Amino acid sequence: MAHKRRVLVVDDDELTLQILRTILDLEEFDVTTVPDGERALQLLAGDARFDAVVLDVMMPGIDGFEVCQRIRHDPRTAGLPVVLLTARDLDEDRARGEQVGCDAYLTKPFSPLQLIDELGDLVARGRRPPEE
Amino acid sequence: MDPRAADDVQRMQQQMLVFARELNEVIARERARRQEAEDALLMLRGSYMEMVKTLAFVVEAKDSTTRSHLDRTYHYARLLTARVGPELLQSASLHYGFLLHDVGKVGIPEAILNKPGPLTDDEWEIMRTHPLIGVQVVSAVKFLGDAVNVIRSHHERWDGKGYPEGLAGEQIHIGARIFSVVDTFDAMTSERPYKKALPVAVAMEEIGRCAGTQFDPDVAREFVQLLEERDLHSTGPTDLAAAL
Repeated sequence: MAHKRRVLVVDDDELTLQILRTILDLEEFDVTTVPDGERALQLLAGDARFDAVVLDVMMPGIDGFEVCQRIRHDPRTAGLPVVLLTARDLDEDRARGEQVGCDAYLTKPFSPLQLIDELGDLVARGRRPPEE
Repeated sequence: MDPRAADDVQRMQQQMLVFARELNEVIARERARRQEAEDALLMLRGSYMEMVKTLAFVVEAKDSTTRSHLDRTYHYARLLTARVGPELLQSASLHYGFLLHDVGKVGIPEAILNKPGPLTDDEWEIMRTHPLIGVQVVSAVKFLGDAVNVIRSHHERWDGKGYPEGLAGEQIHIGARIFSVVDTFDAMTSERPYKKALPVAVAMEEIGRCAGTQFDPDVAREFVQLLEERDLHSTGPTDLAAAL
């Protein structure tokens, strides 16, 4: 691999962030963690380049759906792979996730193997081409 | 505990359960993979040994005077090594060396190998090139390791009067010192077109007599003891390998 795959992980729960970091470190992702949507969007608007984003849905302030939507609306990040991670396994949430344009939707308790697989596939596939 | 905190704890517990299950899965998968790798390694080692044996037997087939010499010397050499230095048997390379000791005979004309009588001086000179030819033959095969030392030095003598390099004492690789004893013993106890087989007792005595000159004294003594313990004084050469 030419460079380490860079992943931005967004979750308001510190323990979950640490768990995700540990799992993704082991898979040799370059992991950046932030505790809320605002900081995630700041980072994404800045110079930092990421290969994928893992987003918790329920966060104080801007929630994961909103962050995902803004990622899609910003031409610089529109094609960035996004994985939504949520405690709510509801059809309407799934539908909402699709609506805001996430690439994968995992419910908590999440499976590390599934996360690694999804993320690996998404990063390998790369950014989506801009939509018509 | 307030309901929200209780909810968090429950969520974490569920998450831990998922982790534990996956950990089990991963461990089981790794275990299966390790087993697969070990099986493959075992098969690979088996294939190496079969290839080495095949090569050794092909070379032996060229030499009509030494039927079954390879089987016997390989057998004796392993028995003797088990006494002199059992740890030497743990690596396969010495086994390869015992089997391939004469691989260089592939480069010796069959008229010399199969001559029905003693060799002339010139013929001996050619015959004596077989250890170094053998080294050349296997030089590209890295996995043979110490086997090369047996091939190169199994005609060296403890007193330095052997060939091809005239090495003496412990300069000679232990595998070659071991092999030299059993090789000589087998030559003495085998029938050749121009000579009869010596009785085991006579060959044994000869090995003992040459301890410290032709042979490493410790190795020679161990070999004589090995034969004595099995009470083989009176055994004829033909059933010798079976008896050992």
